[in-house]
Amino acid sequence: MNVVPFFFDVLAYSAIFVLVVLGLGVIASMMGIFNFAHGEFVLLGAYTVYLLQEHGMPVWMGMIAAPFAVAIVGLLLERIVIRRFYATPIVAMLGTYAIALALRETVRMLLGGQFYNVTAPFVGSFEVGEFSISKWRTAVIIITVLVMVGSYLLLTRTKLGLQVRGSLENPGLARASGISTSRVYAATFAFGSALAGLAGGLMVPIYSLNADMGVPFLIKSFLAVMLGGMGSFEGSIAGAALVGASSAALPWAIKPVVADVVVFLVAIAIVKYRPEGLLSKWRK
Amino acid sequence: MEEIKVEDEIKQRLQSYSRRLFLQRAGLLTGMVALGGGSYIYNPKGTWAADPIKVGIATDLTGPISWGGIPNSNVAKMVIDDINSKGGLLGRPLQMILEDTATNEQLAVTKVRKLVTQDKVDVVFGGITSSMRNAIKDTIVNRGKTLYIYPQLYEGKECTPFLYCTGPTPAQQCDTFIPWLIKNGGKKFYLPSADYVWPHVLNAYARTVIEKNGGEVVGEEYFPVDHNEYSATVNKIMSNKVNVVFNTTIPPGVAAFFKQLYEAGFSKNGGRLACVYYDENALNITPANEIEGLASCLDYFKAVNDPYGNKIQAEYTKLYGTKNPFTAGSAATGMYRGLRLWAVAVTAAKSLKREEVAAALDHAKIADGPGGPSEVVPGRHVKMNMYTAVAKSGKYEIVEKSKGQVMPGECV
Repeated sequence: MNVVPFFFDVLAYSAIFVLVVLGLGVIASMMGIFNFAHGEFVLLGAYTVYLLQEHGMPVWMGMIAAPFAVAIVGLLLERIVIRRFYATPIVAMLGTYAIALALRETVRMLLGGQFYNVTAPFVGSFEVGEFSISKWRTAVIIITVLVMVGSYLLLTRTKLGLQVRGSLENPGLARASGISTSRVYAATFAFGSALAGLAGGLMVPIYSLNADMGVPFLIKSFLAVMLGGMGSFEGSIAGAALVGASSAALPWAIKPVVADVVVFLVAIAIVKYRPEGLLSKWRK
Repeated sequence: MEEIKVEDEIKQRLQSYSRRLFLQRAGLLTGMVALGGGSYIYNPKGTWAADPIKVGIATDLTGPISWGGIPNSNVAKMVIDDINSKGGLLGRPLQMILEDTATNEQLAVTKVRKLVTQDKVDVVFGGITSSMRNAIKDTIVNRGKTLYIYPQLYEGKECTPFLYCTGPTPAQQCDTFIPWLIKNGGKKFYLPSADYVWPHVLNAYARTVIEKNGGEVVGEEYFPVDHNEYSATVNKIMSNKVNVVFNTTIPPGVAAFFKQLYEAGFSKNGGRLACVYYDENALNITPANEIEGLASCLDYFKAVNDPYGNKIQAEYTKLYGTKNPFTAGSAATGMYRGLRLWAVAVTAAKSLKREEVAAALDHAKIADGPGGPSEVVPGRHVKMNMYTAVAKSGKYEIVEKSKGQVMPGECV
């Protein structure tokens, strides 16, 4: 076994995974909404990059535009649909599922069901001894770390973050203190959507653009959020890192088809014995 | 008081919502899902004295396989219009009844049941994936007593009576291709695959051809169909110094796999990438430089550049544009061939009775088609020319043409 490519690939896949889960984790942990349209928000981010590329704009510009475009879509959906369901999380889940279907099939129609590639801003790989390290994957790892730290600081160190956490903890008291919880929820949802858009924009050069690109990530992302424990931002990240790393690492030792099942089995076992999530003790 | 009333009302609303309303809405949703995709009827232009012959097309216009379903229905429409403009068959026009099977096997069974029992079509064309063919064939052939023509390249072993397969089989895609790969790549093969029926059966056949020609399979590996992380496999391929990667992983995962393989330097170090479903459509999946030198073997490529194929291309592009092109991997060529062979059989049988059409179809042949002539051989498959092509800067170049039509080697 080659140590360098092993660690790099596990790290690179975990980074993509963390990026996808970040947005889902923010929405799930701050608002208690399981957003089934998250995979499609990722798709919209990717589609934004493709669209701008088609119109002759550079790919990096599309990647900057993606989170903003998806944030606007997220904001609209929150105002029109999601906010009606805060009292009934199960119905909210179904609602987001419906949104997901509508978004996915719309994009499929626009793409004619086809697959399209987007070329990364950095092409090729670094040669490290006899191994090759993908340039774009390296960039994704760095961006993920920055976004992760940025989001963490935003939620824990700023006034907005305090309002968001306050609104989650005790909406009544937050309202009484003059915080517009409705506006805070909208902003949080838009922020989560933006993160999904960014994830889509950054990963589209690694995968290819197609209507189903968000789907494989969705279920494992939920698993990551469950593992990390609802209501905890750090937990989601830890869960994502764990699911991502084991998804990438296990196929080195066992059959990929079996590995997929093992990831789920282990996760279910953990959720069973630590229902509050991995970081519950650490948080106390 | 007021507040309690309001609270009660909310509670009541919530309760009623979670039960009755939820059930109502869930019921409505299920109904909508069950009805699913659309049905379309294309009537022949002009006035005809005779009743139309009904041609049922059941294909995936929506859902993940729509990349194949859309060109399939386009080709069917184009050929049927052409037949009608030349006087129809047996003096009767063709009416096309198109059902969207929406990449959903359960839905598809309902759809083809409608075609055979309600519309009473004379023949059914369609299905892209093998799971779709397996889901709908019984309803069409056994219970519906209707002829069924399946257009896609597939894993073989489909020997149901009255079911004709007009796409290439493993023998056609491997017999000339694998010796070429050994000569132009090397002897060490790796077979990374998606975990469903086509790769499993194709790999078993490919393995025997590889070994018969003095090659060696150093690895055969299956991934969940939507897998998107291949570092372990890429590493095994690189460290085993594999010469040929014979790929049967499918989109969307295939993009990530080819990229990782490219970034690890597989092609740069002289490795040969091979993939037998890769057509002009698939060239969009990854940037051109990542699949430089990829070899594919199909019944038709644009690059074959034959007058008849070019004519079909031009006509198709004029009608439908370039977004869903006419290619072999999307079963468009199989659909074209199937419709023409069926038309020949109906004309020869002078009847639309299933047994009589089938008897004529058993040896039907056409002199022209995409990629050249083709002919149904015993076993209800089609012998056809096969072409090996290599991707160069985002385009295919034909590097080898089969010596005459290749036998499908199925059901004999």
